[in-house]
Amino acid sequence: MAYDKEINVTGKACPMPLITLAREVRTLEKGQTVQITGNDPIFEESIVEFCREGCHEILETTREGRTISMAIKV
Amino acid sequence: MANKKATILLQSGELDKALSAFIFANGYASLGIEVKMWFMIWGYNCLKKRKSWFSFRRKYDPVRESGYRVLETDNILQPMVEMLNRGGVNHLPMSRLNLLGLGPILFNKMLKRKGIMGLEELIRSAEDLGVKFKMCQICFDALGISVDDLIVPNVEVKGVAEYARDTMEAHVNLFI
Repeated sequence: MAYDKEINVTGKACPMPLITLAREVRTLEKGQTVQITGNDPIFEESIVEFCREGCHEILETTREGRTISMAIKV
Repeated sequence: MANKKATILLQSGELDKALSAFIFANGYASLGIEVKMWFMIWGYNCLKKRKSWFSFRRKYDPVRESGYRVLETDNILQPMVEMLNRGGVNHLPMSRLNLLGLGPILFNKMLKRKGIMGLEELIRSAEDLGVKFKMCQICFDALGISVDDLIVPNVEVKGVAEYARDTMEAHVNLFI
């Protein structure tokens, strides 16, 4: 599945994935999709929290070891 | 979501405290919460431009500064404070384990290796995310600081009434 935007924050710690995602989501319109990949230990929690706060939908979560990719509908 | 608000008051001038204040500010702002950051006394140090020991300004522009300064009551103490308390975002001490200046260097190395953002990067990203910076007027006046001495261009110089209103409107207020 192709996403409108793909972000890679591998190797970045706590506030960075959130800030990058927030910035990208602002440039997108409602209904568009974005995929974010990261390997921070609390990456998944942060993104879930972000989606709950902003009422975004999580479409898909894939795990490869520590690396997690999440697809979000804005 | 749009009308949630948070305020953060940074009073300390240490690297670790400024770092936590700015991490919280960035976190709130990325969740779409309106953040206002207040700065008092030593909290300015993380926003100050680093200057040499003897380059303190002796002359202020009286027209522009009159909005928040009382220049008539300035004396030798203001330049003295500025000389001894130079601040600068990359020159802040630590509240613990300062090790005569070695502590912050090691701490910054540790942050870099762990992929955590540094303080200057956090300040810039807070600016990008729309965090508002507000300064305490009496501290500006007493310590002889000008808005030109700060690395962020858009700051407001306000008093305690504005702070009281901001905190009463906000859902959370952090005092660091």
